[in-house]
Amino acid sequence: MNQRANKSFEQIIEDLNRMFANFGRNKRGPQSPYNGGGGGNAPSGPNPFLQWIIISMFLIAYGALSSFYQVETTQKGVITRFGAFYDIADEGLHLKLPFGIDQVYKVEVTRIHEEQFGFRKDGRKLSAPQLAKESLMLTGDLKLAVVEWIVQYRIHDAKKFLFNAVGVSNNIRDISISVMRRVVGDKLVSDVLTVDRVSIAEAARRLTQETLDKFDMGVTITNLNLQNVNPPESVRAAFNEVNVARQEKDQLVNQAKGAYNQVIPEAGGRALKMVAEAEAYSINLVNKAKGDAEKFKTILEAYRKAPEITRRRLYLDTMEEIFSQVDHLTVVDPEIKGLMPIYSKNVAQALAEPVKAAEPKPTQAAQ
Amino acid sequence: MKNILSIFLAVFALVLLNAATFTVQEHQQAIIIQFGKIKGEAVTKAGLHFKIPFIQNVKYFEKRILQWEGDKGEVPTFDKKFIWVDTTARWRIADALLFYKTVKDIETALARMGPIIDGATKDTVSGFNLTESVRNTNKILDDYAEHQKEEKSSKLDSDLGELDSDIEKITHGREKLSEMISERARVELVKLGIDLMDVMFRSIAYQESVEKKVFQSMIEERNQIATKIRSSGQGEKANILGQLDLALKKIESEAYKKSQIIRGQAEAEAMQIYAKELKEDPHFFEFVKTLETYKNTIAKRGQFVLSTDNAFLGLLKKGG
Repeated sequence: MNQRANKSFEQIIEDLNRMFANFGRNKRGPQSPYNGGGGGNAPSGPNPFLQWIIISMFLIAYGALSSFYQVETTQKGVITRFGAFYDIADEGLHLKLPFGIDQVYKVEVTRIHEEQFGFRKDGRKLSAPQLAKESLMLTGDLKLAVVEWIVQYRIHDAKKFLFNAVGVSNNIRDISISVMRRVVGDKLVSDVLTVDRVSIAEAARRLTQETLDKFDMGVTITNLNLQNVNPPESVRAAFNEVNVARQEKDQLVNQAKGAYNQVIPEAGGRALKMVAEAEAYSINLVNKAKGDAEKFKTILEAYRKAPEITRRRLYLDTMEEIFSQVDHLTVVDPEIKGLMPIYSKNVAQALAEPVKAAEPKPTQAAQ
Repeated sequence: MKNILSIFLAVFALVLLNAATFTVQEHQQAIIIQFGKIKGEAVTKAGLHFKIPFIQNVKYFEKRILQWEGDKGEVPTFDKKFIWVDTTARWRIADALLFYKTVKDIETALARMGPIIDGATKDTVSGFNLTESVRNTNKILDDYAEHQKEEKSSKLDSDLGELDSDIEKITHGREKLSEMISERARVELVKLGIDLMDVMFRSIAYQESVEKKVFQSMIEERNQIATKIRSSGQGEKANILGQLDLALKKIESEAYKKSQIIRGQAEAEAMQIYAKELKEDPHFFEFVKTLETYKNTIAKRGQFVLSTDNAFLGLLKKGG
């Protein structure tokens, strides 16, 4: 608010009286501009006409000067006539009645004014306890939270702003502090610190505006912003601990999920492999069976034409094949006793294996 | 002399005019005092007004809304909690005549208002539990129930602590209490020509010792929540690993089952194929198969001991 203190009517008279008195003294002073050109220096008094002229000139000059005023683009001029509200002037150069009959109060109406709570951006030094007093508040569950916020407002009605309340910015501060506590006082501390920040700001803005409107102060809250919402200093570590715990939990869960993702897709692949192998086995087995069967069928047909001799021939062919491949063939007559000791131990061992393997189970496949 | 007289007359006229008029500014109201006594009604309309010169004096008063700042006062609540209550009020001079008669000026008025509003505050606040002057609604109880439900349904770890037992339903609330305070104080202040427009709790704060306890309880609560979260982390990990085991076993066993079925079916099919063909001549098959088996199983380069009883060597022994 830029309030120009115009002189009241009373003061103007007083000024004139004083000027008149000064004039009387000045005429004797060597520096007086009227000294040289002046008429009589007679002690009977100054030239009465000159006095009147000078007084008139003063009045005219003062009247002319006090008839103009300028309102900047960011302002509105509130004009009072004899103290009573008369008009609102927009930007530009304007005329008014002089001698303090009309007075102009210039109000910044486009500027956004800001009030800060719980912190100060600019250099204004406030002690920590003072700031804490503003920002430390009780939540609905009787816990404490530190809320720092700003209120931005604009004067939308210059007349109301000037004439309806004293110290509007102080009122805004008081109302905002009260409203913020009321809003936070209806919330759980955990909500205040996390999810409800936006809704708190919105509710606080609405309620602050409602209260200001009730008192008709001519201001509009353009913005109410929560700057910081924190747990009180001494419990902050404990709150951080919860965050750490949450991170640890995430880590554990992620590790477990990682293990899961590492194992399960691979297992799926291996399962497919297992099935594929079974299918391979199956095809192999069936085809083999079919082949064997076909072969047998063919052989059987041939065999039936001359069973005895074929049987004999097949046996001998096989024996030939076997014994022609054997490194060392020993023929033993069962009637000869005590032959075994002539074999060395390792020969006996070497013997043991082929003998074992040679135990045929010829009926197995036929069962 | 004539000139001096005219100047004197002009000045006198001005002074007289000045003394006979007074301007009341838009933000002001005025009363007229004549010989120390109030004359007539208060002038609340801004503008130029007349009075009897030299005999009547004008006293100006503020017409705008004024602010009253309370001193922080320590008040015990009904549930014996000690809190600092900081109040502020808006008021105006409603009856300038009465105001002038009783308190004369704003400074005195503020001094008189202090004890009245503070008293009303103390009386009101101490008649209720602390929650009544902190909270305005019972919404917090719904919020809490809602969070509990969420926590149960989503398995999310909220920051939800235990709700103290003294967070009960409120019957009045912060706004109602401040209204009660202003009602009480208003009755007194009307007698001073003052219109008390509202009283607000600017802040309600714990007494320092209580504050410390609250901090402590908040720390404990957070620690509990941290422990809960950690434990639920371990739980979830175990759960996932359990799921892993289950899925793995399921996959593996199903694959095994499937492959065994396939193998079984194949073997059965092979068996059927064999059986179907071989039963044409089982003896011949046995013979052929035996020979084949000999071929496949008797190792090459092995050593062989044969008895002359052997059929193969029958000729060798018998000699043809």
